[in-house]
Amino acid sequence: MRRQAWTTTLVAYAFLAPALVLMGLFTFYPVLYGAYLGFTQYTAANLGSGEPPRWVGGQNFALVLRDPLFQTGILNSLKYLVVVPILQIASLAVAVLVNQKLPFMAFFRAGYYIPVITSISLAAVMWEWIFQKDGFLNWSLRLIGFFNQGGQFNWLLNEHTALWVIMLVTFWRGFGYYMVLYLAGLQAIPGELEEAATLDGASPWQRFWRIIVPLMRPTILLCSLLSTIAAIRVLEEILVFTGGTGGPLNSTYTALLYVYNKSLGLDFNYGVASAAGLLIALVGFGLSYLNFRITREDRGER
Amino acid sequence: MIKRLLAAGAMVLGLSAFAQTQIEFWTYYLSPNFDNYIKSTIADFEKANPIIKVKWVDKQDTMERDLTASIALGKAPDVVNLWQDSTFAGAQNGILLPITQVVSRSVLDQLYYPNVLDIFNVEGQVYGLPWYGWLDQGVMMYNPDLFAKAGVDVKSIKNTDDLLAVSEKIKKATGAYGWLPAVKDPNGASFLGRFFLEGLSIYDKDGKANFNSAAHVALLQKYVDAMKNDVIPQELLRKEAFQLSNELYSQGKSAIIVGAPTSLNRVKESNPDLYKKTKIASAPLGKAGIQTGGAMDLVIPKASKNQAAAARFALFVTNRANQVKFANVVPIVSTAKGSESDPGLKAKSDDPLEVGKGMNSSSGRLINPGFKPPKNTDDIYKNFNDNIEAAFLGKKSAKQALDDAVAFWNANAK
Repeated sequence: MRRQAWTTTLVAYAFLAPALVLMGLFTFYPVLYGAYLGFTQYTAANLGSGEPPRWVGGQNFALVLRDPLFQTGILNSLKYLVVVPILQIASLAVAVLVNQKLPFMAFFRAGYYIPVITSISLAAVMWEWIFQKDGFLNWSLRLIGFFNQGGQFNWLLNEHTALWVIMLVTFWRGFGYYMVLYLAGLQAIPGELEEAATLDGASPWQRFWRIIVPLMRPTILLCSLLSTIAAIRVLEEILVFTGGTGGPLNSTYTALLYVYNKSLGLDFNYGVASAAGLLIALVGFGLSYLNFRITREDRGER
Repeated sequence: MIKRLLAAGAMVLGLSAFAQTQIEFWTYYLSPNFDNYIKSTIADFEKANPIIKVKWVDKQDTMERDLTASIALGKAPDVVNLWQDSTFAGAQNGILLPITQVVSRSVLDQLYYPNVLDIFNVEGQVYGLPWYGWLDQGVMMYNPDLFAKAGVDVKSIKNTDDLLAVSEKIKKATGAYGWLPAVKDPNGASFLGRFFLEGLSIYDKDGKANFNSAAHVALLQKYVDAMKNDVIPQELLRKEAFQLSNELYSQGKSAIIVGAPTSLNRVKESNPDLYKKTKIASAPLGKAGIQTGGAMDLVIPKASKNQAAAARFALFVTNRANQVKFANVVPIVSTAKGSESDPGLKAKSDDPLEVGKGMNSSSGRLINPGFKPPKNTDDIYKNFNDNIEAAFLGKKSAKQALDDAVAFWNANAK
C-alpha cells in the first residue's frame, strides 16, 4: 500500500517534470537572479570589463527609496489603482448585459473585445486625435457649450488631467478582456437559480447583487487581482502618450517607468533597476494580499 | 609518414575553409527603406574581399540594449552603427575599441572631416568611423502661400529672432504656426542646444554649469512667452519638434520646417500638392552663426572576434564613394573629406528635394557637434528637461528653473 502511494507520487512528478523544468528555467531562475541583482552593483561598465555583479547589500534600496523620482513613481502608480474598481464594476455589468439572449449580442461581444486586440501604438494615434488641443473632445465640449468658441484645454499637458486621461485609455483597453472573463463565469451559473429568484419576485437589481455577484466572487477576485497587478505595472500607455518622459511635470511618471529608464539606454544600471523592481513587486504582493483578505472576510459574514 | 602528411594537408584545407570570415554588421533603423543601398554596398564589398562575408542585421529601438546583451552573451557583433551619445556611453563603459588601434590617425585625417572626427573623440581617443551626418538647421522649407497671406518676405528672415517674429506674424494672420523649435525633445536636452546656437555658454573651463546668467534667462523667457501666446504650440513639450513640424506642415497648419531636407519625403507622401509648392531657403542661424549637427558612426566592439575584417568593412562603408551614393538615395550629409566639391552631390533639377539635397549633402564641413554632454547624462538631462518644462508650464520662473538645473548639474556631474 505504501509502496503504491510512493509510485503514484513518482508518476505524478514525472508528468509535472517538463512543466517544472521550463518554469524553473524561464520563471524561477530569472526572478531569483533579478532579486539577487537588486543587491549588487551591476552596470554596463561591468559588461565592458567582464566583471561579475558586486554585492553591495541594501545600498541600491536606500538610493531608490531616497530618489524623489521613485517616490513620485510609486505615488502615481498607486493613483493608477483607481482604475481597478471602476473597470471591474463596468465590465461585470456589461458582461451581464451581453449575456442576454437577444439578437446581435455576438456583435456587441465582439465589438467590446476589439480594443483588447488593438495594438497600443494604433490606440495611441486614435486617442491623440481625441485629446489633442484641437481634438474631438474639445470640439464636443465646445459644441455642448462647455467651452466658449476658441476655448481649448490641453488634456495631456495639464498635470492634473494627464494621468486620468491615460487611465481612461487603460480602461478602454482592459474592458473587453475582463468582460470576456466575466462572461465565462456567468455562463457557469446555473439558470435555475435566476429562474427561482425571478419566481420569488426578485427585481433584476436584486438578482444581480444577491445571486450573480456572490456566485461570481472567484472570478471577481481573479479579475481584480489581474487588474491591480496590471495597474501597478503600467508602462506602455505612459511611453506612447508622453514620449517616455512621464510628463507633464512628472505627473504621469510611474514606478515602472523608473525601472525602465534606469535599466535601458547604455547606462544599464541593472542593480538599481532590479532594486526598484523588487520594491514594486513588494507593493504588488501587499495589494494582492489585501484583495484576498477583502473577499475572505465577506465570505465569513454570510 | 603518409598519414601525417595527409593530416597536415587536411589541416591546411580546413584552415583555408575557415579563412572565410563572417562579420556581423548592425545598422540603426535603415531597413526596409534602404535595403537596396545597404545590400548593394555589402555585395560590392564582398566582391572586392571574397574571404569576408557580411551578415547584415538592422536594429531598431532596442539597439543599445541588444548590443550590451550580445556582448554579455559573448556574441558581439563586429561593426555597429552608433551615434555621439551612445558612442560616448559605450566608450566610457569600456565596451568599444579605440578605432586608432586598427586604423592609423593619419589615415583617419585623410578620409574624414576633422570636425566630424572630433564628435567621436572621447578623452583623446577616436572611437568611431564617421558615417552619414545631418545638420540640425539644415535648410528652411516653407509654404509660400502662408507667407504671402501673412505678408512675410523670406529675405527678411536672417536669424532665429527673425524666425520667432515671423512666426508670430503668420500665427496672427493665418492661424497657422510658423516655426516649431525644439524646446524639450524626449531625447537629449534641446534647450541647451538653443543656448549654444545663440552663443551662450553651457559650462565653464572646469565643467561647472553656468547657463543661468541674465542672458540665458532672457532667452528662455522669450520662448516661454512665445508658447504662452501660442506662437509656438504647447505640444512641443510632449512631442519631438521634428515629428510635430512634419505633421502640422503637411496639414497646412504650420508654415516652416527648419531641418534636414529629408523631412520633405514625408510631406511628399502625405501632401504631394504642398510638396510641389514648397520653397527652400538657407536656414536662419542663431547669434553664434553655426550649424549644429551630428553624424552616425561605425564602431567596433572590443569583444569583436574579427576586428581587422570589421575595420576593413567599416572603412569601405564610410568611404566617400559610398557616402555620395547614399546621399543620392536619401539626402544625408556626407562626412567624407572632399565631399564639398564632389560632382555626385550637385543638384540635378529644381525639384525642392533636389535643391535642398544639393545644399545639404555637401556641407559636412559645417557640422558643429556642439558641446560635449556631461557624465551621468541621463539624470542630468532629465532634471534639466523637467525644469525647462516647469518654466514653460508656468510652474517656475525662467530664472528659478535655470538656477535649479545648474545646481543639480553641478551636484551630480561626476
